[in-house]
Amino acid sequence: MAERTILHLDMDAFFASVELLRRPELRGRPVVVGGSGPRGVVAAASYEARSYGVHSAMPSTRARRLCPDAVFLPGDHAHYAAVSSRVMAILRDVTPLVEPLSLDEAFLDVTGARRLHGDGPTIAAALRARILDEEGLTCSVGVAPVKFLAKLATGAAKPTASRNGPVFGPGVAVVEPGRELEFLHPLPVAALWGVGPATRARLDRYAVATVGDLAALPLATLESALGRAQGRHLHDLSHGRDPRLVEPDQPLKSISHEETFPADRRDPDALRADVVRMADAVAARLRAAGRVARTVTVKVRFGDFRTITRSTTPAAPVATGPAVARAAKDLLAAVDVGEGVRLLGVGVGNLVAPGSHGGGEQLSLLDVDGPDPVGDDDAWERATDAIDRARERFGADAVVPASLATPTGIRVRRRGDQQWGPDQVEPGGADTSDHAL
Amino acid sequence: MKFRCERDDLVEALGTAGRAVANRGGALPVLSGVRMELTGSRLQLTGSDLDLTIAVSAEVGGETDGVAVVPAKIASDVVRSLDAGSVEVLVEGDEAQISSGRFSSSIRLLPADEFPRLAPPAERAVTLDAADLATALSQVVPAASNDDARPILTGVLMAAEGSGLRLVATDSYRLAVRDLEGSAVLDEGQSVLVPSRALRELVRALGEGEVTLRLGEREATFEVDTMRLTTRLIEGEFPNYRGLIPSTYPNRMVVSREALGDAVRRVRLMAREATPVRLTMSDDGVELDAVTQDIGQASEAVDARFEGSELTVGFNPDYLLDGIEVTPGDEVALETTDANKPAVLRAIGREDFLYLLMPVRI
Repeated sequence: MAERTILHLDMDAFFASVELLRRPELRGRPVVVGGSGPRGVVAAASYEARSYGVHSAMPSTRARRLCPDAVFLPGDHAHYAAVSSRVMAILRDVTPLVEPLSLDEAFLDVTGARRLHGDGPTIAAALRARILDEEGLTCSVGVAPVKFLAKLATGAAKPTASRNGPVFGPGVAVVEPGRELEFLHPLPVAALWGVGPATRARLDRYAVATVGDLAALPLATLESALGRAQGRHLHDLSHGRDPRLVEPDQPLKSISHEETFPADRRDPDALRADVVRMADAVAARLRAAGRVARTVTVKVRFGDFRTITRSTTPAAPVATGPAVARAAKDLLAAVDVGEGVRLLGVGVGNLVAPGSHGGGEQLSLLDVDGPDPVGDDDAWERATDAIDRARERFGADAVVPASLATPTGIRVRRRGDQQWGPDQVEPGGADTSDHAL
Repeated sequence: MKFRCERDDLVEALGTAGRAVANRGGALPVLSGVRMELTGSRLQLTGSDLDLTIAVSAEVGGETDGVAVVPAKIASDVVRSLDAGSVEVLVEGDEAQISSGRFSSSIRLLPADEFPRLAPPAERAVTLDAADLATALSQVVPAASNDDARPILTGVLMAAEGSGLRLVATDSYRLAVRDLEGSAVLDEGQSVLVPSRALRELVRALGEGEVTLRLGEREATFEVDTMRLTTRLIEGEFPNYRGLIPSTYPNRMVVSREALGDAVRRVRLMAREATPVRLTMSDDGVELDAVTQDIGQASEAVDARFEGSELTVGFNPDYLLDGIEVTPGDEVALETTDANKPAVLRAIGREDFLYLLMPVRI
């Protein structure tokens, strides 16, 4: 097979750059996007902010200490998602083989597009120009024969922060076929996917510092040090081999929502209400994706960061908020929440098309009979259709479970809410922060 | 209160009454206890969680009459730990003293006046053969739902049917119907919905002999030997199950019950994560198979007589096996319409039982 050409495209300081487009007066100032509460984390920092040592995933409180002059902005996930989908559409003009990794990052396989659009670096430069022209945003692109090298190349193309402010990168970095190892081997071993602190500690014993050191180790040594699967995986990577293909529109595997509370929660009733809210949001996304779920999962992180997940397979696949909530509440009931819950998550997995081949949907007797005199589920399924249509027209808070109504209004869960940590402590115990975003 | 009795008798009585004791004390802490009432030589023990109440009486060597409520679990554990032989129970003040041999223990009592008073059981009584009722209940109770979110389906419908009694249960995936001829418990057109949990307990207690049934407005009471079990009835409308039972089937398979059951037990090991066991029925017999991605597959052929056109139907193996196990006789008939319509398991030559089950879509 001919050499592939893979592009990895990563928007530069995406959330911060999008905010700067809306607030040009902030240009040149350090800007941080993320959660502002005591447990918030930085989602994105402008290059000016990075000069102070601020980086994403850092606790917001620490970012504020490093850079007290920074402008802190709450995240606007819906807006970023809208910009992101326009950027992804530009990428899909070049090839349908686009695999988004997140809102601001994607792989493209342009092997087939080369004939029409020119070689990899040409396509990369054209994409950068078009995204800058149409969206006013900059990005960096790595070009390589395999996925992980393309991603590493992007790092070399990126702008960097220095004491004197941002330094523009080349924008496009290319790893030529046949010169992969030249690029790869001098890199520190931690640059490879899947090399975290634990793996590094093990590799240290073999004096492995660079990828080249790793490549020099016999496969058998690596397998005995790291286990068969990971040993072989890293061995392949260190020789520039990465058989993974760009997978456009990866089939949805799971959907989940999780939420960190401003203060640890102990009240089982409050947690059950949270479950209802999250289950409702998860089920809405599940239906929007045209899927039903076979498993329901609950994730609980306690005050001491101990995290457990519990999952169950209901007798029949679920797709409605009440059905997801019922399974999730059963799971939660078996968890002792007395010590306080810091984070709660509700998810669904094992997604299948309703009634698809091998979908294994257990049919219900009460479906046979038309309107069902007792089965809550069937009534809910019909009601859910109506709810989805109402929400489509009037917004996500048009119809909500009654338990989500509070004296201060309605709490709904939107996708991307709170992914950077909760905001300020909720007034009167009611979590209205979701709406504030 | 003071009495002596055999350790084994007391263990059994405490265990029986204890099965109705609320798992968690809940709103009423006294419900975590067993009420003891001594009248002459008759000791009655009662446990209740308000929905289900079990009272059992035992002959003891009574000395002083009285009433007390002992914590069920601890009292039962203490008595169970004793060697066989005579046990003395003495209630004084707010403690019950349990002694045997050189062992002695004092248990703090629960407030007896807080124990709920039960309405006296209905006057009108009918008697049924205990063994028949036990068989019938064990045929339908497995089909009842365990999901408290659908309370009506956790009940077993007891309805007047012709001159007999009909028992029906469904969890919406399968439905079991059993008729008991000549057991006119209810008036024409009358029906009650009895919690399946109570009936599971009743089945454990039913042996030979007779069982007396008293139906009240809100409770049903079953009396067997020295035990009286009272259960709250479930209020609400049971689904119209008659409309679910198709009257004709284009396909009918007759197969050895044991051979089919054994095959399902083996093949279902490869039906993981809610995947079904598939039955392909044809003139050659029936072939069962199950495939779970990343786990494996299994199949088995079983001899069967089949009339109709070849078809493949998927079932939840546990639901299918439940049906095979409760259908009487050496051979069973499986009647099907198509892969998405209800299938019916019947006993050969018997009209008093059927087990309807919905397929899993394949």
